[in-house]
Amino acid sequence: MNIQKKEIASEIFTGSMADISFLLIIYFMITSAFSATRGLDFALPEETDTPEIKQEDSIEVHVTPGGAIEVDKKGLPRDGLLPYVLEKLQQNPDKPVILRTDPDATYGDMISVFDLLRRANEEWTDEQGNPLYKDVNGDPLVEIKTISIPTQREIENIWNLLGMG
Amino acid sequence: MDLIRGRDRGTGAQIFTASMADIVFLLIVFFVLTYKVEVDKTQMDLPETWIRKKVPEKAAVISISPPDKGSTIRVSTGEEMALPVSTIEEVITFASTEVAKNPDREFILKADQGAPYARVDEVLDALKQSKVKYIFLLSEQLTADKK
Repeated sequence: MNIQKKEIASEIFTGSMADISFLLIIYFMITSAFSATRGLDFALPEETDTPEIKQEDSIEVHVTPGGAIEVDKKGLPRDGLLPYVLEKLQQNPDKPVILRTDPDATYGDMISVFDLLRRANEEWTDEQGNPLYKDVNGDPLVEIKTISIPTQREIENIWNLLGMG
Repeated sequence: MDLIRGRDRGTGAQIFTASMADIVFLLIVFFVLTYKVEVDKTQMDLPETWIRKKVPEKAAVISISPPDKGSTIRVSTGEEMALPVSTIEEVITFASTEVAKNPDREFILKADQGAPYARVDEVLDALKQSKVKYIFLLSEQLTADKK
């Protein structure tokens, strides 16, 4: 007798794959964070290589409550900050800029001035990145080399050292 | 009767779904690759800056919540959810521990733009005392019209 073999086609059931996939998509969409992943970088000085900065050797930018700025103790509009710093750095390109913020000001006030100072590189170069200005030695001036953000404790320490505390 | 048979022959409207699986898998791959757990979910208005650099992944995070939420400081190693700290000494301890593990450890400061600077100053001072070398101040993109 000829027994015919019944052939059962082997197949993987894929009907529910779309459901599983959509479930996974929804999970990743909900839990995935489109968070801010960019910001201003800021390198803190190591104590060993911190040179002693004399006040007259630096450009002091003071951010007051409300976001107004005083540069070297004189009120200045924000538009005037970079030209002022440029003029000073042309005389001495190593001059550090000290950014001091009033404790009653907000973080946003400080960041906006810090961002403005960091923008010097864009403002002082052309679209190809060529320097637009030169310092007194004839070297290209393309950025502010040192921007220091002293903390209140450091400022008080300096005052104490100077006997002004 | 012929008319009815003719009606039967009409082609049924269908949506072609064969490529749906491909699209769905493509989306899954995208989400898997871009998936990142936000370690600090505090809602805040970040300050806007023109200069923005990519912050390193897995950097330690210190956040300062908006003033209406108490300007609370939270810390995270970058891999675990951020935990609130009550004193600035705890920030110093946290940062010092991280720096001891890796002297070049990067820190992200995520603070609300309305946070009082005195609070930010405390955190910056704590990081300086802990010998932290690199800080990234998290910000949103400043647009040309606000520049």
